[in-house]
Amino acid sequence: MAAGGNVEVVWSNLMNYLTPESPQLLGTLDSLEQLRQNPRVFTRLREWFLEKCQKDLKDESRPQFWSNVQQSEVEVKGFNTLLNAVSNLHRSVSTYKPFVELLQFLTGALPLRNLNLQFEGLIKAVIFCEIPEQFKSMVHAFYSQAFQAYQSINRKEHGQMDTSGVEDEGEDDDVESLICVGCAEEKDCCHCAKIIEGFSQLNSQLHSLGLMKKVAEPAFLSVIHREIQRRIDEKCKGEFEASFLASLLHWIDTELCGWLLLIFQTQGHDANSMTTSTEISLDDWKPKLHYFMYKSFADLRISELFTIIVEYPDSLPAIQDLKECLEVTDQRKELIVSLRSAFERRLLHPGANTSDILTQYVSAIRALHVLDPAGVILEHVCTPVRQYLRTREDTVRCIVTSLTDENSTELAEELMRGDPRTIDDLGACDSEDDDDNWMPAPSDADPDKISSSRKAPDIISMLVNIYGSKDLFVSEYRTLLADRILSSFNYDTEKELRYLELLKLRFGESHLHFCEIMLKDVADSRRINSHIQASAAKSENTKTDTIPLTAMVLSAVFWPAFREEKLKVAEEIQRAMDEYTRGFEALKGMRTLRWKPHLGLVEVEVELADRTLSLSVTPAQATAIIHFQEKERWTLEELSGVMHVPPGLLRRRLGFWISQGVLKEESTDTFTVVEKQKGQQRIPEVVMDAEVESVMASSQDQREEELQVFWSYIVGMLTNLESLPLDRIHSMLRMFAMQGPSSSQCSVDDLRRFLDRKVKDQELQFVNGFYRLPKSGR
Amino acid sequence: MALEGQSVSRLRKDLLQLLPLLGNPESVVSAFPSGDNMLEWTGTIKGGKGTVYDGKVYKLTLEFPSTYPIKPPVVKFMTPCYHPNVDQQGNICLDILKENWSSLYDVRTILLSIQVLLGEPNNDSPLNADAAKNWNKEVYKKALEKFEKEIAK
Repeated sequence: MAAGGNVEVVWSNLMNYLTPESPQLLGTLDSLEQLRQNPRVFTRLREWFLEKCQKDLKDESRPQFWSNVQQSEVEVKGFNTLLNAVSNLHRSVSTYKPFVELLQFLTGALPLRNLNLQFEGLIKAVIFCEIPEQFKSMVHAFYSQAFQAYQSINRKEHGQMDTSGVEDEGEDDDVESLICVGCAEEKDCCHCAKIIEGFSQLNSQLHSLGLMKKVAEPAFLSVIHREIQRRIDEKCKGEFEASFLASLLHWIDTELCGWLLLIFQTQGHDANSMTTSTEISLDDWKPKLHYFMYKSFADLRISELFTIIVEYPDSLPAIQDLKECLEVTDQRKELIVSLRSAFERRLLHPGANTSDILTQYVSAIRALHVLDPAGVILEHVCTPVRQYLRTREDTVRCIVTSLTDENSTELAEELMRGDPRTIDDLGACDSEDDDDNWMPAPSDADPDKISSSRKAPDIISMLVNIYGSKDLFVSEYRTLLADRILSSFNYDTEKELRYLELLKLRFGESHLHFCEIMLKDVADSRRINSHIQASAAKSENTKTDTIPLTAMVLSAVFWPAFREEKLKVAEEIQRAMDEYTRGFEALKGMRTLRWKPHLGLVEVEVELADRTLSLSVTPAQATAIIHFQEKERWTLEELSGVMHVPPGLLRRRLGFWISQGVLKEESTDTFTVVEKQKGQQRIPEVVMDAEVESVMASSQDQREEELQVFWSYIVGMLTNLESLPLDRIHSMLRMFAMQGPSSSQCSVDDLRRFLDRKVKDQELQFVNGFYRLPKSGR
Repeated sequence: MALEGQSVSRLRKDLLQLLPLLGNPESVVSAFPSGDNMLEWTGTIKGGKGTVYDGKVYKLTLEFPSTYPIKPPVVKFMTPCYHPNVDQQGNICLDILKENWSSLYDVRTILLSIQVLLGEPNNDSPLNADAAKNWNKEVYKKALEKFEKEIAK
């Protein structure tokens, strides 16, 4: 060995040399060179050095650093404390650095670990082995303050450079405030610049200590995330009418990245510093920031999606934004879950109007189609909506009404605009497969469903398919049509014919055959009317005081059931009606008329002592008032006897005249005519049936009636066959009671509910799975 | 087959005719197809008010030939019935089910006829002689009581 016996000497030299306090830096390089010749000794030397460093760090730097930091506990602003602590640490550690680099340099090609990294690791391990929360929040506060300062300086610069303002229109510091947003100090003594200075100092020091990743990264990451979040919340929340993605991306690329650049710039100062592995470039960061932005934005929009759908056509930009985000972030599943629950929470409850639910459903169909043309999201989200709508009684009526109501434009427009695609009960047709725009179904699509059912949304068929059958719709439309014809009574069917034609395009001719006949009835009635009136005019000489009467002659088979109500009309009306019947019989040979006197419209003119009223009223109202012509005072009971109208109903009819000020209730159940209105006497408020009564029997009444028929069959069965199980009853009913083309259907479940109700009413017994009639008491 | 089709559709009509009686708890007759075969029915008859059969309920079977309504159905009592015109096998002696049958009769009229027969037996052609004899006594007794009452006035 070259040094031989004086290893001791060299060693002690070295010991002195490598202690930072020693002043002679370049002195004993020779001996080091010599040592390098012997790898084993050199390795030892390195080890010793690291050990020494570790001891120093542990005994001096660590307590010193943390006590520096601790002081800030009393101080609110950790800014300077942190700065000082780090710079002290930096100073004390720096003294080791030349040696580290020297040794590393000497290591050369030896297969040893990088001493730089080992030294950095030592710092992390010894000083920052556990970072107290308080320190973390201090660093965080430091970075967020730095960001504020950066932003405010940036803004000032922008303000000076171009007053036209950058894209950020209307930043709120246009309002002259005395407080600087950056440092929360008065503007005059703003120290934003100072903050930035300290900020870059800290960055470079942390950087050279290799602590960037360990200490600073979590902090500035969270600052960035928070800023993105805040930006999105501030700018985009509740704003659906503009697209934000582009401006957000721009903001990230300019401002956020500018700030990050400040942090990373410090690397450039000492490119040959000891950090090589912790090298983070801005380009690596950008995609991460973008992703985070997309994610936050999508989260926000997903949570707002319900409202977005409410505002649908206006919120199109928001949906397009969201669509773009989803392509990046793959949050379809979250979206479906969130929107579904929003629907259930906000829409599918008893407080919501059926029409509102339908409107929202239609918007959802449209909006979600933009979001996901394949319709998978729509399918997932709207299944509960459809199920819920099915349980509402007035759904069909609502849909049909809005379809043919010119005031509620949306659906009516849809009906007129729609390409004439007949609604398929199955909802699927296998044609139109070779489509140039074919796209594979999304991965979350339900493979059971044929993809063609997810084609462009035909809103009407989607609505109709809520029930899976168009029969219900057609029959509801029939009722609605009948109602309209009979309540307007003006024989004007042009509009209705137009709708009918449109509906025929969708539902097919055969389904709307009945409706066509109904409209034809109206046209025929008009002809019959004019004919009968003409022939009556010829034989005018008989009587001149007949009441002019026109009739609606309806083919009973094709019209839905009417609301039944008894009414005996006044003599002269009856005479006119008989006259009309005779005319009709003469015209139509073998046919005659069966009158529905309670349906119709009567033009009356009520002449009183001091005033004359002209009104259009119902036959029952008219009949009631006619009777007051012969007698001024009627009791409810008398009048009810004459008119064959139950007193309760009659009271409501008379209520109309009381509200018109024609009648008054003198004493309970006794009504008289008010010939003279005395002064400004207020007509007493009368409880009126405000809603216009439908001419048609309600579907519920009809259903009751059907069930009553079934009940007769069931009693017949059970009387003769003693006891039967549910499915047997059902199959018997199907065989005997549900045979005709017009007879209604009843599912097993419906039947069970019906029978259970009967059991509850004690009209039926249920024993061991068999239904039976209770033993009669007789 | 064509004929059977006719009989089934006629029986459907019969069922419809019967329907108002089925649902009414006050009605004295009722009937319903026993199973999937439309040609076999079960009927129920309640004894008429004021007759000795008041409060009694009888079950009957009705078997329709495939030529119904040209030929009458075979009607039998399932519930044993003590009656001058009903034998121990439940066979009924009723002219309209035999020589006086007309295709205008339907299930409803058949059952109503049998119900009336319960209260007013035809003792000229008894199937149950014992019952007929007793019935006569019964009637005689009633007539006697009535006569006595008249006298007492």
